[in-house]
Amino acid sequence: MTIKYSPLPDIKSRVVLAPLIPVTFINGQYEFPTLALVDSGATGAIISTIIAEDLHINWREIPTNLGFSVGANLRSHRFNNLYAEISNNKFQLTVGIIEGIAPYKCILGQADIFQRAKITFQGFKKQFEIIFREFN
Amino acid sequence: MKQIRINLVKLLKGYASGWVGISSDFKSVLVSGKNLKEAREKARKIKKKVYFFPAGESYGNFVGKI
Repeated sequence: MTIKYSPLPDIKSRVVLAPLIPVTFINGQYEFPTLALVDSGATGAIISTIIAEDLHINWREIPTNLGFSVGANLRSHRFNNLYAEISNNKFQLTVGIIEGIAPYKCILGQADIFQRAKITFQGFKKQFEIIFREFN
Repeated sequence: MKQIRINLVKLLKGYASGWVGISSDFKSVLVSGKNLKEAREKARKIKKKVYFFPAGESYGNFVGKI
């Protein structure tokens, strides 16, 4: 599957391109289909508290971890029992539920999607290719 | 090979805030609401999958830039 980098609106009429992928997060009977950033520099998946609440994850009862990113220190809550479904490929993942980030923030990283698929970024074509591994 | 194009500049044009529900072919916005709960409620009648995304944001720091 090839996915064109998605143009996103930015401040001052600028447009940014982002490798976004359609994903459905699944927590038991609750599902949240959205678009996630595929980030080879991210250790693992993160979602905002708004997405977590829509998935009926009671993140306030999960112990807080302190972490950091390029831009800031952050407070996160680790949730281990989430599933993600991408183009009929379903897998379990651990997500960090991050306090205070923008609601759209939803990132897949090295510990999850990069373990499940071969991903080739082709910046010169403004696209990336993703081929899921086959598991018996 | 399957190819996906998602142009959020076009899709989110005219939506200043709230949340939208995007069609599974990523060509149109099917529902919108002042918050996620409202967009969810409107999407309940739609049989096909709806992808939810907030509108009216500045997404530059999604990917990071200088």
